[in-house]
Amino acid sequence: MKKKSMWGVIIVVIVVIAAFVIYYATRPPKIEPGIVIGCPLSTAFLYGWDAERAITLAVEEINAAGGVNVAGKKRPFKVEVIDTRDLEPGVPVSEALLVVEKLILEKKADFILGGPVRSEAALAAMDLLSKYKKVSILTTGVLTPKYHARVAKEYDKFKYCFRITGEAVWMVTGEIIPCLVDIGQRFGLDRIFIMIQDVAHARGGGGLIAKIMAKKGWHVIGKPEIYPTGTTDFSMGLIKAKKEKAQVILIWMDMPETSILLKQWYDMKLPALPFGSIIAAAEQPGFWKATEGKGEYCLANVVNAGNAPSNATPWTMKFVEAYKKRWNIEPEGYGTSTSYMAPYVLKDAIERAGSLEPDAIIKALEATDMMGVYGRIRFDPKSHQVIPSVDPEEGAVGSIFQWQAKKRVVVFPKKIAMGEIQLPPWMKK
Amino acid sequence: MDILIYGTINSMALALMALGFALVYGISRVANFAHGALYVISGFVTWGFVRALGVNYLLSIFLTMIIIGVVGALIYQFILIRVRGMAISEIIASYAIGLAILEGLRWGGFKGMTYTLPVFIEGSVDIGEIPVDFHRLVVVGIGAAVVAFLWLFTHHTRIGLALRGMAQDERAALMLGIDSDLMAVVAMALGSMLAGLAAILLLPLGNIVVEAGYNVLILAIAVCIVGGLGSWMGAVLAAFLIGFAQILTVKYLGSHYQMVVALLAIIFTLVLRPSGLFGQQKELEERV
Amino acid sequence: MNNEQRRKERLDRGIKVRTDGLYAIMSLRELCYLTVPRLVLIVGMLVLPLVMPSMYWQRVISIVCIYAFLALGFDFLAHFVGLVCLGGAFFIGVGGYLAAILNTFWGFPPLVTIPIATLLGGAICTLLLLPCLPLRGVYFAIVTLMYPLVLMRIIEALNILGGTDGIMGVASFANRWIEQYFVIVMVLLFLFGLRRLVNLDIGLVFRAVKDNDQAVRASGMNITFYKAIAVFVASALGCLAGACLVHMYMWSGISLFALDFSILPIAATVIGGAGTVVGPVLGCFILVPISELLRAFGTLRIVFYCLILVAFIVFRSEGIMVYGQRKYHQFERWVTI
Repeated sequence: MKKKSMWGVIIVVIVVIAAFVIYYATRPPKIEPGIVIGCPLSTAFLYGWDAERAITLAVEEINAAGGVNVAGKKRPFKVEVIDTRDLEPGVPVSEALLVVEKLILEKKADFILGGPVRSEAALAAMDLLSKYKKVSILTTGVLTPKYHARVAKEYDKFKYCFRITGEAVWMVTGEIIPCLVDIGQRFGLDRIFIMIQDVAHARGGGGLIAKIMAKKGWHVIGKPEIYPTGTTDFSMGLIKAKKEKAQVILIWMDMPETSILLKQWYDMKLPALPFGSIIAAAEQPGFWKATEGKGEYCLANVVNAGNAPSNATPWTMKFVEAYKKRWNIEPEGYGTSTSYMAPYVLKDAIERAGSLEPDAIIKALEATDMMGVYGRIRFDPKSHQVIPSVDPEEGAVGSIFQWQAKKRVVVFPKKIAMGEIQLPPWMKK
Repeated sequence: MDILIYGTINSMALALMALGFALVYGISRVANFAHGALYVISGFVTWGFVRALGVNYLLSIFLTMIIIGVVGALIYQFILIRVRGMAISEIIASYAIGLAILEGLRWGGFKGMTYTLPVFIEGSVDIGEIPVDFHRLVVVGIGAAVVAFLWLFTHHTRIGLALRGMAQDERAALMLGIDSDLMAVVAMALGSMLAGLAAILLLPLGNIVVEAGYNVLILAIAVCIVGGLGSWMGAVLAAFLIGFAQILTVKYLGSHYQMVVALLAIIFTLVLRPSGLFGQQKELEERV
Repeated sequence: MNNEQRRKERLDRGIKVRTDGLYAIMSLRELCYLTVPRLVLIVGMLVLPLVMPSMYWQRVISIVCIYAFLALGFDFLAHFVGLVCLGGAFFIGVGGYLAAILNTFWGFPPLVTIPIATLLGGAICTLLLLPCLPLRGVYFAIVTLMYPLVLMRIIEALNILGGTDGIMGVASFANRWIEQYFVIVMVLLFLFGLRRLVNLDIGLVFRAVKDNDQAVRASGMNITFYKAIAVFVASALGCLAGACLVHMYMWSGISLFALDFSILPIAATVIGGAGTVVGPVLGCFILVPISELLRAFGTLRIVFYCLILVAFIVFRSEGIMVYGQRKYHQFERWVTI
């Protein structure tokens, strides 16, 4: 009997392997007329599938309209998405790098769009992209300012790397600080408590906010509380906030345990406004139902406009409607509008450059100037970072929204706000 | 005061997570590395009943516990029983099953942060000056009840006594006519049910995500090692030790050290007193 | 009782008996019997990068070799010394960080950092594991499983060595072919080196420690010392793997301590055949390409992977190589009694 089960196992394994080998060997070599876009994304996570869906939507629209005009010939985009699993805790970054190499070497990707999503992996991938001379546009995740700083420092080596999504330094200085100052002036608040995740961009961002708000005359309670990834209990932090009479709690975490934090805040009826510079759980439209309304009044920054409905540009609501029609849900996460824009920006650059040559494309991308879903899209020529602003006519606009009455209402920047910030009822003295 | 309250809550949470693992190891000496997966899958099964099918909450909890018990028993009966005795094969086999379940859930679409369970009782109460929400108090209450129930079960019912007998000395139990394989299946079923119970109690505090499985497994192992791998009371005590250590660390040292504390506790225990606080495997003390 | 029963009998093949000892050089046939499998392995591994269809698959071969180092170390420790070490990631992490630091802070080229990282890393790992060496059985396994996690959390919490972002800009190998063949040649060297080691006197002590450590102690030898030597060898292998990985990808970070690096070598050992030093290497050659081929399935590939692993462990835990060796050296027949 042992012999049979043993043969059974071996036969099954051999059949599986043989099937794959035959499949791969007999596939006719595809002479694709399409331009291959490689997308290394962590598709099992919000910050991966938001990009996957948006890129698919954009490419479908572009191909339906005829494709990309490369020096006279119209060619379609072809998207190859491979799951990197890089947002999963037990997976090494080398897996993500292997995926990037697979896309470049085996799938013959002409451009890399989207990821890798984790800052570590993206920084490591920069060297790979420089080695293979592939132009890449980051559209989701990766908030670390180190990315564009590295491009600026070693331009010739890293000129292939572009980032069309926001990053931590502008988020802090250009959006979070002005918004906080505004809240302070409007409601007379000046005590802030900071809770962040133990990740490089959160540490940097949180520390920066503490320093700047202190200079603006706010009372920063204690030092920023840093929580390791995977913490499930924030009680002590919230109790400290209550004891010290915090009026705004600044949260910077992209782990799912943020829902525990918010639920506890609501149950404790803490008289403080939860301000999420990044608060992963609150960014999805399903958040309201999932917490039975306990997420009301929470503010969340979704880095780029268009990830929550607003009227930044005429294209914004068109995009939101198209996304809703295609995927049956409003845009979620913070990589959606940027991932939607990236294929369009690429198309524009290819058409202006007239070829797929990396150096030509780089020059064309640096000269990009178009009105996109979240404002005017221009890249800084030295650091290849999209130029941000609070005015959609000038640059790429971010979005801070607040959950009000089951909806995500954009409240900042002023130019695109759809509503006003409200305080929870138990805070009004 | 706040340390006392939240320390107890944290410790009870850890104890609930660890008891399932401790039970299975104590009785059948099988390290069940699929513990985290069972935790997560019971959360999703309950979610399925409550949210997707609209079944009454209490009934869903009951059904989930039964289903999870059966799943655990099946895992043991078909897979672990064949590798029983070979410690490493057991670990790898149960870990692989756990991983298969977790990744299977992810592939099946259970991703994102919108899967939640409703709490049992809404609202919060102020103890002294400290706000505590009702559900956390419920966690402490039920946790204590579970510990008490386990104690009574293993001291006063036939099956419980048989389990205890097997935990103490398998050969002697066999001689008394206790079927060790059957008891091991029962132990595994009970362990899985405890994992399910822990999930049902702790998951309403936040949301259900697949990554929680890995964290729960590591915490359960940490608690069981510090408490001694064969002893249930040891696991509970160790849970309190680590739980309070974590809360104290957050309050006085800095919140970013809390995970390090839990993991360092293992290493210190193993270096200073390998069999744990109440460990019964004294042969581990015998160092070479 | 006149029950005719049949049972299986296993006998050594004639040619195996003839090749024992000096008689092996009697004729070409016997020489071939002994050397052909080894030659196939060596030549096969050396020729593999040349026949790969694309650069991507060459990269996969390098990754296979990295995992092969870990699997060699694990098999050596588990089956020749009796120490089950579930913490392969710990060695990779230490070796990787050392190589990255040596390269970025002091500017040593890869061919200098790798040997230093190997030896120094081996020493550091052995020192850190020293308190745990007296433990036995499953306790040692769980402790070594926890080590990489602890180190990861410490680096994260203290924000040292690059914190969660890691160390970037590590130099790469000078030439693609050096990168490729360096790891392959190293794997072959260590493979045959380990086989030699277990047949030396010290190898005998290792095996004795595994079988009955009290007896070794009674003979007046310090067990912890020998265990430390074994751990040094295995961790040096792991650190070598980490250093090579870091130079291949030009980066080093806390995800070097990922659980994947601990689990895959064990799976490879189980599938490839424990106890034979070449089995784990074979297991890596099977598992990693399968894992890559299955990428088309997305997340389902991990599920398949795990189910295959469980099937092997439960139904055929001896592994492919052991089965293969048995078939090669012995034949079976039914006899009636």
